[in-house]
Amino acid sequence: MTAAAAPSRPALPPELIRLLMRVAAVLVIGLALSVLSGAFLSVVNLVNVLRQAALLFFMSSGLTLVVITAGLDLSVGATIGLAACLAGTVIKSTGDPWLGVAAALSVGAAVGLLNGMMVSLLRIPSFIATYGMLWVLQGLTYTFMAGSTVYGFPRGFRQLGNGYLIGIPIPVLLMAALLLVGTLFAQRSVWGQQITMIGANPMAARLSGVPVKRRLILVYTLSGLTAGFAALVFLARLDSAEADIGGALTLPAIAAVLIGGTSLFGGVGTLTGTFVGALLLTLVLNGMNLLHVEGNWQPLVTGLIIIAAVWLDLRGHRIRS
Amino acid sequence: MKRTALIAMALAMTAATAPRALADGETIAVLTKNQTNPFFQAERVGAAKAAADMHAKALQYVPTQPDSIPEQMSQIDDVVTKKPDAIVMVPVDYKAMIAGVQKINAANIPVVNVTDRSAGGDFVAFVGADDYSIAKATGEVLLKAMGGKGDVIIIEGVRGAATAQDRLRGFKDAIAEFPGAKLVDSQPGNYQRLQAMQVMENLLQSNPNVAGVMAANDAMAIGAMDALADANSKALIVGINGTKEAVDAIKAGKMLASGDYNGFVQGCIGTMIAIRYLRHEPVPKKVTQPSVVVEKSNLGPYDVPVDQRSCPTWDQVPQN
Amino acid sequence: MTALALPGRLRAPGLLLMLAVMLGGFAFATRDFTTPGNLLNILLQSSVLLLIALPMTFVILTEGLDLSIGAVLSLCSVALAQTALATGSFMAALSVALLVGGLIGALNGGLVAYLRIPPFVATLGTLGVAQSLALIVTGGQSVTGLPDSVLFVYGGSVLGVRVPILLMIAAYALMHTLLYRTRFGSYVFALGGNREALTLAGVPWRRILVMVYVLAGAWAGLAGLLMAGRLNSGHPTAGIGMEFDAIAAVALGGTSFERGNGWLMGTLLGVLTIGILRNGLNLLAVSSALQVCCIGLLVILTFTLEAFRTQTP
Repeated sequence: MTAAAAPSRPALPPELIRLLMRVAAVLVIGLALSVLSGAFLSVVNLVNVLRQAALLFFMSSGLTLVVITAGLDLSVGATIGLAACLAGTVIKSTGDPWLGVAAALSVGAAVGLLNGMMVSLLRIPSFIATYGMLWVLQGLTYTFMAGSTVYGFPRGFRQLGNGYLIGIPIPVLLMAALLLVGTLFAQRSVWGQQITMIGANPMAARLSGVPVKRRLILVYTLSGLTAGFAALVFLARLDSAEADIGGALTLPAIAAVLIGGTSLFGGVGTLTGTFVGALLLTLVLNGMNLLHVEGNWQPLVTGLIIIAAVWLDLRGHRIRS
Repeated sequence: MKRTALIAMALAMTAATAPRALADGETIAVLTKNQTNPFFQAERVGAAKAAADMHAKALQYVPTQPDSIPEQMSQIDDVVTKKPDAIVMVPVDYKAMIAGVQKINAANIPVVNVTDRSAGGDFVAFVGADDYSIAKATGEVLLKAMGGKGDVIIIEGVRGAATAQDRLRGFKDAIAEFPGAKLVDSQPGNYQRLQAMQVMENLLQSNPNVAGVMAANDAMAIGAMDALADANSKALIVGINGTKEAVDAIKAGKMLASGDYNGFVQGCIGTMIAIRYLRHEPVPKKVTQPSVVVEKSNLGPYDVPVDQRSCPTWDQVPQN
Repeated sequence: MTALALPGRLRAPGLLLMLAVMLGGFAFATRDFTTPGNLLNILLQSSVLLLIALPMTFVILTEGLDLSIGAVLSLCSVALAQTALATGSFMAALSVALLVGGLIGALNGGLVAYLRIPPFVATLGTLGVAQSLALIVTGGQSVTGLPDSVLFVYGGSVLGVRVPILLMIAAYALMHTLLYRTRFGSYVFALGGNREALTLAGVPWRRILVMVYVLAGAWAGLAGLLMAGRLNSGHPTAGIGMEFDAIAAVALGGTSFERGNGWLMGTLLGVLTIGILRNGLNLLAVSSALQVCCIGLLVILTFTLEAFRTQTP
């Protein structure tokens, strides 16, 4: 691999370049779609896409931190399912949306805490611990819901998913807020930097006094917490919850994180990347619907795009280094 | 004297413990497809109610992985090992499960086929509804309400599922009957509410003037309904299942109608047939639920949650 | 807590303990469990999973994953079914199964070894490709009416032993030899634990890595044949989710995701443990929701037990 000749002016930081490349990929897809389909470029469609991407982003945000520590959280989808069902039931029986919010967030955090303890204290590989947790949570949700659906929530609560503020859907605004807060946390705060170090070089982290176990527990708890939050937005958007809503969500969430440039080996990754990854996946689905791609072909298209996106990203990364 | 009494007692005890000829306490194994679809939950509730009404016991077997063919196969193996008195079964796949049915036949356990008609194997009876007819009837209700003209969108179920294919056919044939109506788009929602909502959102962009939406099940209909409401669309929407949530939506005028695809009744009747067969009472070979479309005018009986309904009595069961 | 003093050779003691507890517990709880018919059922039900869990062990030893193996299994079952219907030839069907599986395996291997795409992503992508191909080729329908030769693979017996059992024995013997007695096997371990050593030694490690994935794909093809024999049909979604069962079995058996530590026998035990758990729960008519919980608890408890074993005082 030949090294590029040293540029005569200071180069942009590599992270920024990768981000720009990913954004470029999104723009290319967007451009293609607007050429191929007249309906793509409308304001309504783009707003829809952003809102759909926001739902995906909420799930993937905490997960990004987990992957940065070279871990994986397979239980995200199941956490959302359980949290949504519990919160929904609480809201229906008490009539108080705030209790539902508390329920969803506490369930999410509790699950995350348990995952974190299994990974850091019991040293169970994260893949396995969260896989086991996935089944346990799913079983609990099935038992709890017994095949029924909980639906019909107060109008105020539903604004969380359906409302608009200054013309922008509320989930999109929340996504922007989470992106800002999350990025500040991950890159500017001491804890965030420690988390990145744990992924990049666990030995160095330990030697420099980072309380690795506590940070790991924190990271998984955050993943669970954002899953709980995502559950609330789903609940509000769909105005219902059933036991199986989480099933199809986990792999797309992980895909969004990985497309966004976060490496499974840890130490590398940004929330902005995950946002772009979520946007990309949502654009693909949007495009397939608008272009009438037959149902049977959709997994293939999605699969190929995931591979292509990650490959391009890695290629760009390697050329620079 | 004492000896005769002892012999008489012994004979009575043997008779009391003889397994097969009992008129009560039969074990019926009920196999359904998944835990996630409320339709099958309703079926399980119906089966349990019918069993309880007739003083028998229903044991439920559901794959842990939804719609898993190999898992249902394994459950058949394990059920056959336990030798229940009869089996009531919804095959996960109407072709792939034939081998499993043959295993049940080989073990001489009577089995009733419910919901999805198996393409092979010996059954005591089939209890089901005709997906095609229900979809067609529901589609016709929509098209009539549309005045017979306008753009129609179909939200399909899971590709490859027999129910989804038959319903799609039914919808399409209904549209074909009305020359003024046009099918502008047909995309899968995989029977999932969120997916249907997002698909509907997307399809509205290319078809803003859609007048009618046919969704292959209620969960998708409601998801699409929300997307339509967000876009202030005047499109009418129909679904299939007749769930309580759909009935509420019909009452509120947000949804037009839903095809009655009633898991509860099928579960009841399937189990009733199994038990009657064991008790040597006459049973029909096939029971097809009539195609009823639930609309505002007739939603009374559907407004009751499944747990509170009662099974139909035997004379109410259509004996065709 | 002092570490339990266990003989160094005893791998995966947590699993062995769980296995013993379950065997004892189920045998006690229901007489149906220990009947020869039921024990045979457990082995038969585990056969397909073993055929993909064994090669999955190899993949995981190279610090990789094959998420596409379930979809490839389904695709192969469909491809071979259609071949069998068209030609009536068992050998043709078998060849197609192995070929299709091997090709997708090669694709996986190429993406991972040459394009250096992380295995999780690469195989997630090929999962979609394989799934779509299976659905498109069949229109979502089962392919039925297979010749008796295919049915024989699951239902037949040779010298009184059921064919799937013979396949399991042969598969284990073959893979054991491959892993522990050949140079290829030592390369597989090295790919996970010490890739630099291979490069330094001038070993074409990329080709070997591709072969590992090709192996997985080919076994998926054979597993697809076994599945088709069981179902008397090829179905486009028959193998859905099996990749996670396989990964769980491998992990339960003591193979770790890093550092190339592994135990093939452990994979076999892991597969059997999962099969025994499901069978026992069915026999006890445990509700499905609770079964789902139990599977998760099995995984968590087994690893928790392992954790206590390795705790340093």
